[in-house]
Amino acid sequence: MAYSDKVLDHYNHPRNVGSMDKSDSAVGTGMVGAPECGDVMKLQIKVNPLTGIIDDAKFKTFGCGSAIASSSLATEWLKGKTVDEALAIKNTDIVNELALPPVKIHCSVLAEDAIKAAITDYKVKQGADVAALAQAH
Amino acid sequence: MRLWDLLYRMKALPAEYFAVFGISPQLALDLPELQRQFYVLSKLHHPDRFARASADEQRYALDFTSLLNDAWRVFRDPVGRAEYLLKLRGYDTADGRTNTVPAELLEEVFELNMALEEARDGDSGAKKQVAEALTHFTALRQGLDVERDHLFAAYDASPADTHLEALRSLLNRRRYIDNLVRDAQQALS
Repeated sequence: MAYSDKVLDHYNHPRNVGSMDKSDSAVGTGMVGAPECGDVMKLQIKVNPLTGIIDDAKFKTFGCGSAIASSSLATEWLKGKTVDEALAIKNTDIVNELALPPVKIHCSVLAEDAIKAAITDYKVKQGADVAALAQAH
Repeated sequence: MRLWDLLYRMKALPAEYFAVFGISPQLALDLPELQRQFYVLSKLHHPDRFARASADEQRYALDFTSLLNDAWRVFRDPVGRAEYLLKLRGYDTADGRTNTVPAELLEEVFELNMALEEARDGDSGAKKQVAEALTHFTALRQGLDVERDHLFAAYDASPADTHLEALRSLLNRRRYIDNLVRDAQQALS
């Protein structure tokens, strides 16, 4: 199967590969997997607590070219967005941007789920912090 | 047109693999018995036997034989058989989103993938970690296969959806482990 030029570009030059400190309260981590193919994807966001804007995003994906491209693109899109704007990213946006064929749509679903999981983790941490603060006072 | 030809033209192929073998959908198949059945049916429908038959009979023999070969190939592997039955019952992998596997397993899978990458880059410490993980995951897979056989028997005794759901989740976990074992073996060879 032929990959689109955009998939190849992200696959050969993945953006924002790496990881951030999972225990940092400003960092949200999403770890998801696709049982169809056994792919695993870790996606992290770092949110500026003052502005609520995602300052940084990192990913590491073990999977096919489409899964790597989907998560690489997702991190590019996440930077500069607010958490709520990030939640609005849909897997179909990724499918369209990368011209993914039907058999690879689950890769984009994986990326969307990773974004949602990272944001949930971040929000839980913020909630946990609030609780910890309330307890300290 | 002969009546016989007309009948053949109307004769429908079995709709699914279990029907090819003339059995009801079930999971704990006796493989040696199934293989005997496979040989019997292969002989019975062998296209060579229909060399002088009508075009419709020839086509049926050919179609049945190819269906039979597919069915045998899928059924001889317990995982393939289970995936087939799950699909038949509407438990496709594709509709399970991504949160169907325990988070701890994903973490473990991720960690081992990191170690595999380092091992490929020639890190000897990582190689040792991969070798240990390979032992661990191979044992894990054996455990899953024992659990799978229990579920097979339970489903055949009473075909409840809960057994299929448990099987779906088990096979999802198994696929990650399968990939890992394969990659780890490759990295170490």
